Amino acid sequence: MSSRNDEVLDLVIAKIRSTINEDWIQDFEIEPETRFNDDLELESIEFVKIADAIQAHYGTQLDIVGWLSGKSIQELISLSVGELAEFISGAVAGSGVDA
Amino acid sequence: MARILFTVPPLTGHLNPALAVADALERQGHQIAWAVHAAQIGSKLPDGARVYALDDGEPAADLGSSTPQVRGLESVRVFFEDYALPLAQRMLAPMEAAVRDFVPEVIVVDHQMLGGALVARKLGLPWVSLVTTTASILRMSPVFDAWVAEQYQALQQRYLPASLHVERPDFSPYRVLVFSVDVLVGNTHARIAAPYAFVGPARGEGRRGVEFPWDWLRPERRRILVSLGTVSRDRDTRFFEVMMAALRELPQLQAVMVAPAHLSAQAPDNVLVRDYVPQTELLDRVDGVVCHAGHNTVCESLSRGLPMIVAPIRDDQPVIARQVIDAGAALFMRHGKVTPPTARTLIEKLLADSTLADNARRLSRELLDAPGAAGAAQLIATLALAPALAEVA
Repeated sequence: MSSRNDEVLDLVIAKIRSTINEDWIQDFEIEPETRFNDDLELESIEFVKIADAIQAHYGTQLDIVGWLSGKSIQELISLSVGELAEFISGAVAGSGVDA
Repeated sequence: MARILFTVPPLTGHLNPALAVADALERQGHQIAWAVHAAQIGSKLPDGARVYALDDGEPAADLGSSTPQVRGLESVRVFFEDYALPLAQRMLAPMEAAVRDFVPEVIVVDHQMLGGALVARKLGLPWVSLVTTTASILRMSPVFDAWVAEQYQALQQRYLPASLHVERPDFSPYRVLVFSVDVLVGNTHARIAAPYAFVGPARGEGRRGVEFPWDWLRPERRRILVSLGTVSRDRDTRFFEVMMAALRELPQLQAVMVAPAHLSAQAPDNVLVRDYVPQTELLDRVDGVVCHAGHNTVCESLSRGLPMIVAPIRDDQPVIARQVIDAGAALFMRHGKVTPPTARTLIEKLLADSTLADNARRLSRELLDAPGAAGAAQLIATLALAPALAEVA
């Protein structure tokens, strides 16, 4: 993974921790393979908040909701932190926004 | 008087409201029959009930034990693919035979008993849907809604002529009776278009004659009920262990916890563990509820003005939990992650926060004012006796 990808992953993980903001998540190991549904027990409303926080960091060019709407139900169920970070890396690179 | 055929899945939360409505109809002199999985729920029907068995030799899968560990959206996928659709497919033939034999004026179909809905549509009989969870009437997201329609489409193609296919065959074009109130459903999500009547909780008695040591409850203490419902009770013990650890630090409270009986060995003095409880009677004697946000438990608790902690796990529970939180009557708890200190803080807040209790009391007035099982029975009777007048679609 390039350093930009690492930076994006770190940011995504930080936003997950700050949005959830519960005791367990502060030292819960979050990796690219960590799944939002099974591993983090994230509510859809919380996912939206995390997406908003990431958008706010980079500006509004990231269409995370649009990206999700192209996924199948099975892909949504197994969505991982790494997949979100990868999408954001690509979107950031494409738009020329600095991380 | 009319002949009315009920069909519900072998799940307690779906059977109990239907029993209350059927009882109200029977008191008015209507003749009731049941098309159900008799091996699983036949014993819970009234004595002498007329039963058409839908079991084809083997009992239907048990929802909890056939899908034990799934959660969130995954559980919804599994519910459709592994439970509701196979159940519908297998019941088509026996259901059709039951209708031809009983010749009902109206069929009352639980919204997750899709086979019953398809038979009613095919035979062109008046029918009513019973909706036991308001999550089912909401549009969740374009991806999810399209996926649900696709699930229904596959089954319709195998059974119904193309002219009868609709996006949501589970909802009757005559009447869709919802066991909730409009204000609780809220406006966060758009609703699927259907002729809804919000009748509120059916207030059935449920399981009768469950023994309970009432004298264990101490009048001077504040009390809570902790329950994850019948499907998730035996899922895993972590949640209950966390709750016991939290309650150990709150000795001024008493808690009744619906959990596997073997956990009582490790329960602190102020926690009573029972694998079954007389829930409606118990709710009259507690100050707050910690639950999975099952639709019936939520409505029964709110009817009594009880504030809640909601720890949703699967199926419709995350949606129902969000409704009660948005209505200001519940706190969120993350079922598989909650720690003893967080559980303790939430329980203290549950009993101390007067806003939660005020909002729960406001909702209780709405729920108690709703027509309930008697109102549902009235709408069904009207349709049975004058279907041409009642048809709205």
